[in-house]
Amino acid sequence: MADTAATAGAGGSGTRSGSKQSTNPADNYHLARRRTLQVVVSSLLTEAGFESAEKASVETLTEMLQSYISEIGRSAKSYCEHTARTQPTLSDIVVTLVEMGFNVDTLPAYAKRSQRMVITAPPVTNQPVTPKALTAGQNRPHPPHIPSHFPEFPDPHTYIKTPTYREPVSDYQVLREKAASQRRDVERALTRFMAKTGETQSLFKDDVSTFPLIAARPFTIPYLTALLPSELEMQQMEETDSSEQDEQTDTENLPLHISTDDSGAEKENTSVLQQNPSLSGSRNGEENVIDNPYLRPVKKPKIRRKKLILKQVLNSLHVSQAAVLRCEWGAVGLRVKIAHGHSRFWKHIQGISPPLGASGLPSSPFYY
Amino acid sequence: IIKLNSKQCRIYRVRINDLEAAFIYNDPTLEVCHNESKQRNLNYFSNAYAAAVSAVDPDAGNGELCIKVPSELWKHVDELKVLKIHINFSLDQPKGGLHFVVPSVEGSMAERGAHVFSCGYQNSTRFWFPCVDSYSELCTWKLEFTVDAAMVAVSNGDLVETVYTHDMRKKTFHYMLTIPTAASNISLAIGPFEILVDPYMHEVTHFCLPQLLPLLKHTTSYLHEVFEFYEEILTCRYPYSCFKTVFIDEAYVEVAAYASMSIFSTNLLHSAMIIDETPLTRRCLAQSLAQQFFGCFISRMSWSDEWVLKGISGYIYGLWMKKTFGVNEYRHWIKEELDKIVAYELKTGGVLLHPMFGGGKEKDNPASHLHFSIKHPHTLSWEYYTMFQCKAHLVMRLIENRISMEFMLQVFNKLLSLASTASSQKFQSHMWSQMLVSTSGFLKSISNVSGKDIQPLIKQWVDQSGVVKFYGSFAFNRKRNVLELEIKQDYTSPGTQKYVGPLKVTVQELDGSFNHTLQIEENSLKHDIPCHSKSRRNKKKKIPLMNGEEVDMDLSAMDADSPLLWIRIDPDMSVLRKVEFEQADFMWQYQLRYERDVVAQQESILALEKFPTPASRLALTDILEQEQCFYRVRMSACFCLAKIANSMVSTWTGPPAMKSLFTRMFCCKTCPNIVKTNNFMSFQSYFLQKTMPVAMALLRDVHNLCPKEVLTFILDLIKYNDNRKNKFSDNYYRAEMIDALANSVTPAVSVNNEVRTLDNLNPDVRLILEEITRFLNMEKLLPSYRHTITVSCLRAIRVLQKNGHVPSDPALFKSYAEYGHFVDIRIAALEAVVDYTKVDRSYEELQWLLNMIQNDPVPYVRHKILNMLTKNPPFTKNMESPLCNEALVDQLWKLMNSGTSHDWRLRCGAVDLYFTLFGLSRPSCLPLPELGLVLNLKEKKAVLNPTIIPEAIAGNQEAAINPSSHAQLVGFQNPEASCNMSAHQQGVKRKADTPLGSPLEPGQILEKNEDSSKVKLKIREEIDMDTVHDSQAFISHHLNMLERPSTPGKEQSPLEMSMHPVATAPLSVFTKESASSKHSDHHHHHHHEHKKKKKKHKHKHKHKHKHDSKEKDKEPFTFSSPASGRSIRSPSLSD
Repeated sequence: MADTAATAGAGGSGTRSGSKQSTNPADNYHLARRRTLQVVVSSLLTEAGFESAEKASVETLTEMLQSYISEIGRSAKSYCEHTARTQPTLSDIVVTLVEMGFNVDTLPAYAKRSQRMVITAPPVTNQPVTPKALTAGQNRPHPPHIPSHFPEFPDPHTYIKTPTYREPVSDYQVLREKAASQRRDVERALTRFMAKTGETQSLFKDDVSTFPLIAARPFTIPYLTALLPSELEMQQMEETDSSEQDEQTDTENLPLHISTDDSGAEKENTSVLQQNPSLSGSRNGEENVIDNPYLRPVKKPKIRRKKLILKQVLNSLHVSQAAVLRCEWGAVGLRVKIAHGHSRFWKHIQGISPPLGASGLPSSPFYY
Repeated sequence: IIKLNSKQCRIYRVRINDLEAAFIYNDPTLEVCHNESKQRNLNYFSNAYAAAVSAVDPDAGNGELCIKVPSELWKHVDELKVLKIHINFSLDQPKGGLHFVVPSVEGSMAERGAHVFSCGYQNSTRFWFPCVDSYSELCTWKLEFTVDAAMVAVSNGDLVETVYTHDMRKKTFHYMLTIPTAASNISLAIGPFEILVDPYMHEVTHFCLPQLLPLLKHTTSYLHEVFEFYEEILTCRYPYSCFKTVFIDEAYVEVAAYASMSIFSTNLLHSAMIIDETPLTRRCLAQSLAQQFFGCFISRMSWSDEWVLKGISGYIYGLWMKKTFGVNEYRHWIKEELDKIVAYELKTGGVLLHPMFGGGKEKDNPASHLHFSIKHPHTLSWEYYTMFQCKAHLVMRLIENRISMEFMLQVFNKLLSLASTASSQKFQSHMWSQMLVSTSGFLKSISNVSGKDIQPLIKQWVDQSGVVKFYGSFAFNRKRNVLELEIKQDYTSPGTQKYVGPLKVTVQELDGSFNHTLQIEENSLKHDIPCHSKSRRNKKKKIPLMNGEEVDMDLSAMDADSPLLWIRIDPDMSVLRKVEFEQADFMWQYQLRYERDVVAQQESILALEKFPTPASRLALTDILEQEQCFYRVRMSACFCLAKIANSMVSTWTGPPAMKSLFTRMFCCKTCPNIVKTNNFMSFQSYFLQKTMPVAMALLRDVHNLCPKEVLTFILDLIKYNDNRKNKFSDNYYRAEMIDALANSVTPAVSVNNEVRTLDNLNPDVRLILEEITRFLNMEKLLPSYRHTITVSCLRAIRVLQKNGHVPSDPALFKSYAEYGHFVDIRIAALEAVVDYTKVDRSYEELQWLLNMIQNDPVPYVRHKILNMLTKNPPFTKNMESPLCNEALVDQLWKLMNSGTSHDWRLRCGAVDLYFTLFGLSRPSCLPLPELGLVLNLKEKKAVLNPTIIPEAIAGNQEAAINPSSHAQLVGFQNPEASCNMSAHQQGVKRKADTPLGSPLEPGQILEKNEDSSKVKLKIREEIDMDTVHDSQAFISHHLNMLERPSTPGKEQSPLEMSMHPVATAPLSVFTKESASSKHSDHHHHHHHEHKKKKKKHKHKHKHKHKHDSKEKDKEPFTFSSPASGRSIRSPSLSD
């Protein structure tokens, strides 16, 4: 293997420099770690089919690997501390990996891959003296994909679990009591915090802290907060009420006759209705079309000179992707099917000019 | 001379048939009394005010704006040809009539939710454009509003089209109202509304402010049922082709109905989680819809016919209530309304539904007991007006009792069908008078339909004010087996009247219930009623009730000798009366337990308050527990029980009243001190659960303190309140818990008026205060619906202050009363300030309130402050108070004299307050004026204002110009060039799309640019009104219409087609008009320039056609206006 030379060289140089300079065990450990990482990187490269690598790239990869591993460690530590523990557990690591965007499910399969290279155990400078504790039973042997120099599995007895459980607090009174006082505590803490951090009013002139009232602040639009249910309530409503569904379907039928407004100026008013040019509407056909004057499109101002009209029509169609026009010579209202992007919907064009009547040709400039 | 109504408008120019016309603008109501620094008595003011209002009353042919017809046109008038009036005017920062809501946030007007709407009390359209502001002058309308492209303009009639302006920044809404409508029923709302088409009725559209669409959906989802109900009972379709509901902020009133649209307060919107608001909102919707039929579509002939409209709409609204909420609710409502009107009339002395103002009878003023004139809607106190409406529908109900509901509905149907026939007959003005209802016309159709004479009833309740007050007592004559009933009347106290006629008495005996009709006569007090059953209490037998039910009763309580269980006088409330009836306590208890009528139950609960006995307690408790019983009865039983318990405090045994009951109903089985998690699916028990703690908190122990047990109980309720599993919001429930806490507060034991500090705070109060603090603070983070909890907290804090637990200080309330808080909070806070002003006699706070009355942006709040001050005045007329001084008198005088001229309601509110504080005569705190004047005042109650008479004449004769009025004589010069442009605008709009020159549309263009509030709304409107054409005009116009059906045709109003079979009138009118429309094309570009300039004022101009067709025969009126009443008396056609 040609690349092993490079790997070995890299490894060797590391070792060399390590043996030369390092004298204290901390440095030693540091170097050993780095060397191991280099070996790992090299073997991974080999695995990936590289035959040789420049030193700089190996170094870079090593650096990346190291920071990746450090990040896992740091993050796992945070997770474990967050749950008030000192030692990370497997779940901390898993959460960390997930958080870092790693697909954990692929890990076992990767560990068992056939073409993997086994790295030799790093030389242990000073073997930690493990006090031979009382052994009970036979430890499980390592599966083939775990190098033998890895620590042994714990004693079998550590796997034995004796389920112990406290009687769950099923006493209704206690539960209610607990829920009530918990909520009250939270509320009080929260309001006091708000009162402390903000402006307050007081009922007693001499004492401002015992009953602090958060100062009244006028709203710019007072009815919104007063009328709209809070998010909490909305959530509740969704959970308890399903009758909203019916209303939803009702309103979905509404927007079918609204044409997208060219200038977009009208959007504020009808945005809700416009957003879903539902297909159900076109399915239902014309019978179900709600003809409400407020849903009708806004007309363009009338154009005075007849000669200009066609030009105007073209312009507005170009500019506005389907404007609804009113022409002075008042031909019959025509329905023109207009494909607009992905969705297809009906446009109502009133009094369309004769040349436009022959739309439907894809090549026609009037067709969208 | 032509007179129109107009207020606040700046009129630049008036043209009649393109000729400049001189005009005078004189509004005597701007300042009621002039230069009268000494006069401070209310009598004087009221007379002057009434005179001022009459001087511009459109029904009397008067108006603020007098236009002199140029002499060149006198010939036209003589020939009774069309006169077309153009008025160029602008409206700058209107103080009334139109209300702008402009939240001060970042963003464009649409993003900020800025909107504007028309509002007012009765006929107030003159505040925003010149018109004949009367309910009796009908015409058809064409309205145009040009607004910012992000806005929607909602107005009356059908939206014909919406067109962009040339710069695409604005759009113009074109409305057509083809049903003849009075100017007073015209309205407008503009804002960035969200649009919802009613899923059940596509011609109904709902509008609300941004972000509220989900609420709107839920709130209006019920409306179609109301429609169906009314259409069914009236057997008449909804008269307009469309209906619009608009929900706006800072509403003037909760519900305002206009032709084909209603404006509601946005605070009526609610989500599906809110229980308490739902019925209230539905009632508002139903009320407004009832008024669409009677009030908007059918209008009134004159002010004295108002009661018919209010009566009918209130009556059919009542029928809707009966159907929707059930008979119990309906009867309860009737009783409530009856009690209200009775209380009001007894207090103030009479509400007159149909004021008659005969020429000679002016002297005996029917309303001399009142401090205001009832001749005009605009002089009425608001409270009087609400009571007036209440009485009107009660009287309608009395009429129904007399002629049966079937006939009643037939009468309504007749009125409606006549009106709708009339409305579709476009050009026949005499038909249009069918759309106006008058008292005599209404009574005539009643007698036609039913064949019954209801004249006595009308005389008693409509033509006369006052209610009846009965005192009843009885004795049972065992020998004759006769019930001797004595019924006395009090008809001497104010607000009462004598009743003569039939009176129903229901006697429940052992053998059953029997109705007797007594004839109340002049001098008969005693009535003998034979009893059917012998006293036989030993026989066990079921007792039949009125409704046919038979029940077992424990008869041990009753008198052994008498077979009478209970007696009711006028059980059906067929007299507007108050009954004070004496019967034994056990009879009331039987009545409560076994009478099935909710009104009877309510009455007995009220009566039982006077009988604090264990038996009463038992009866009330039984009712409370009975689930079949009407929830409102159970609720009032709670309060009665609390009162009884307090009266029997020394002998009371067992736990505090209602506690065990509440525990049984709402607490957990296993731990009785913990309330169940909330489940408000059953509304009856929800209301009971809300009410019981409030009533319990009123309990007092021997030391007159709230028992500790009760307080702990309520605190526990609050503590264990858990709404997580509930489908509904518990905000009202929590608010009532705070009310309960407030109810439990008793006056603090104070030593030498020491200053209240934390250290000497009562421990119970400390607990209460802690809860209030927490609730109030939580509201800031998680606000409840309509801030009910904040409202309750503020009230509770005021209670604590008042009882001396917390130092009395208005600062907190003042901060909550500021503009920018939700209106309910503001009102609650202001109420507390008003109360503080009274208790602490604070001049400073009174000034603060008065200042707010003058300057607050929300008209409703200003009205409400006056109202609250009147109800809870800092002092009254016979009271010595440091607050009562000359400066205050002057201030209030100024307020009602000139400060409130833009809002009728506010002015009347100020008058009410002045009356409460100082009475009718000169305030006592003023220094004595010259002796002569005082004597003068005392001799003559009604002193005529010496200045008002010449002024009225001045208004009529246009001769003298009152120096203080805003009269301006504009000659033939053109004050504003741009006006000219906008005048031509309409020619542009009309376009020469028909080769034939069409008559120029009468209409008006209004462009607004509200600079003060920075609303860049542009409104252009075109209004057709008072178009009177002769038949020639009609025919040729009709031809025009046929030729171009797509063009919105102009409306014709009244004319007598049948009388002019031959076209004789010249066509000159039309040629002239078409010429002008051609001419206008040239000016088109100028107009554009003008628009770009965005002048900071609004222009509006109006054209008015008035062509009087010549009367040849038959028709007694010379002026073929629909309101014949106006035409006869109208001095407006002086030429």
